[in-house]
Amino acid sequence: MTTQQILGKPDSAPPAPEDTPGPAIAWDGSSFLTQVRILTGRSLRALVTDPGVIVFGLAQPVILLFMLTQVFSGMGMPPHFPKGISYLDFVMPAVLVDNAVHSAIQSGIGVVDDLKNGMVARLRSLPIHPSSLLIARSLSNLVRAAVQIAIVIVLAVTVLGYSPKGGVGKLLASAGLVLFITWTLGWAFIAAAAWLRRAEPMQNLAVIAIFPLLFASSAYMPVDDLPTWLGAVAKANPLTYAIDTTRALALDLPGAGAVVPALLISVGIAVVGGVLAAVGFRRPL
Amino acid sequence: MSGLAQPTARTGGDIMIEADGVSKVFGSLRALDSVSVSARRGTVLALLGHNGAGKTTLVNVLTAALPPSSGRAAVAGFDVSRDPHEVRKRVGLTGQFASVDAQLSGRDNLVLLARLLGADRKSARARADELLELFGLQDFAARRPGTYSGGLRRRLDLAASLVGHPDVVFLDEPTTGLDPSSRLNLWEIVEDLVAGGTTVLLTTQYLDEADRLADSIAVLSAGAVIASGTAAELKSKVGQRTVTVTPEDGTDPAVACEAIRRAGLEPVVDRANGTIVVVIEASKDAAVVIRALDGAGIEVTELSFGEPTLDDVYLTLAERPTGFAS
Repeated sequence: MTTQQILGKPDSAPPAPEDTPGPAIAWDGSSFLTQVRILTGRSLRALVTDPGVIVFGLAQPVILLFMLTQVFSGMGMPPHFPKGISYLDFVMPAVLVDNAVHSAIQSGIGVVDDLKNGMVARLRSLPIHPSSLLIARSLSNLVRAAVQIAIVIVLAVTVLGYSPKGGVGKLLASAGLVLFITWTLGWAFIAAAAWLRRAEPMQNLAVIAIFPLLFASSAYMPVDDLPTWLGAVAKANPLTYAIDTTRALALDLPGAGAVVPALLISVGIAVVGGVLAAVGFRRPL
Repeated sequence: MSGLAQPTARTGGDIMIEADGVSKVFGSLRALDSVSVSARRGTVLALLGHNGAGKTTLVNVLTAALPPSSGRAAVAGFDVSRDPHEVRKRVGLTGQFASVDAQLSGRDNLVLLARLLGADRKSARARADELLELFGLQDFAARRPGTYSGGLRRRLDLAASLVGHPDVVFLDEPTTGLDPSSRLNLWEIVEDLVAGGTTVLLTTQYLDEADRLADSIAVLSAGAVIASGTAAELKSKVGQRTVTVTPEDGTDPAVACEAIRRAGLEPVVDRANGTIVVVIEASKDAAVVIRALDGAGIEVTELSFGEPTLDDVYLTLAERPTGFAS
């Protein structure tokens, strides 16, 4: 085959239908779902070819899990601490939700990376729906978060002897809820990425978001044992509902009813985040 | 495959790029001011201009990345505002910065793009491999673009923009920062592209590049086309001979210019090269320049005559950018 044949039009190109103007094109584009599937595969592939991503992603929850349980389990438990429950049992859902927040931030970082390395510019010059890239990011990150959560749970069970009362079924249900929260929260950070478009403000936002979101919640202490003002903040924090529900499910405690506000808040975040992300991403580069 | 590109042109002619009175306003900045250019199928249109002249903005409008504020633009027969999706199906873009996925190998990048354009797995791989071979990237196919040299990355980027057999290829400063051999290599690729029936719009600050590749040239300055035509037409429009003098080191160019101006000629300082360019009417004017400088006590280390070149077109027509003064 000659250079000019490679550069020119393939013979296999479909002839232009009579009613469409313009010359024939080689491939007539792909559907939105195909684009999402291919772009999700592309992001997941980077996880496989670069295992460092998973390893470093795991470092945060694993270190948190071991540090928290080793530092605090010897302490006397505060008055409102659930009876008959170890600190490991108590804090495990918080570790999973913490992983959800970090994974969600990672979705935003992934979008910023694509903006920076020119991938977005490339895709925008092609007949591709820009939202497909965002959805692909959110989905591939969900897979990554699932792998991380599975590894954290396995480590907790095998190394630390984590054995939640709720049993395997409820543990899986709580993991599923955490993953749903990961995915919905991811849209908040994808929206931030679509508007901020640079790595530094994203990192600042991440730091600013993580501490209040997790410490002003029921993550590490029961809300009723927090100082009054912080407890009030914690009660308004959507993550409190997520953590309470996850905890109630896994430990078979009362309070699984918090699943309703947890889901509603999550869906709200996803919808608002998704719309803002789509609008922000559509602005010219 | 048996032949070259078979133009399956729509009715109404072979104009593949057409901008008609296109303006683009960003706040108070008029980035494009009623720009009109056009290119026929299988030709190269060069946009010549310095940084900030509006070249990239025009490329963005023509590739449907930015909507024009006013005016009309059509590429491959489709209006960029009304049918941006159809335009994107038919264009390839190589920007000033490499636009590939740093985490995928060179080959996987090309396969990914082909798949997104609707190719099945097998033909996507076949397309990637033929482009890798054509661009001499086989040995680097399995490596990530981060390990490529500048020239290799540019080639991969160009290959990426050709995956979908585009009718119109936009090259935004394709050779900026490339070494001479990579530059030559890229020029040859562009010539092959055009021989295959592709229409190319390239932006450049290099006049020899426009001279070598372009069938027609539009000179952009401050968002407006200040001259257009073939290289020959532009040269004849300027139609002047020049004398270029290099004053001795340490000479104040303003003093030298003043001396030349007093002698009745109009000098232009090219600070980048440390030279003074003077348009002359007749050969004897060269002697006038020398006498004027001699009279002002300025030694000249080098003197050369120039027939009209695109450099002169640029100097004569373009608004003087920073670094040039008259």
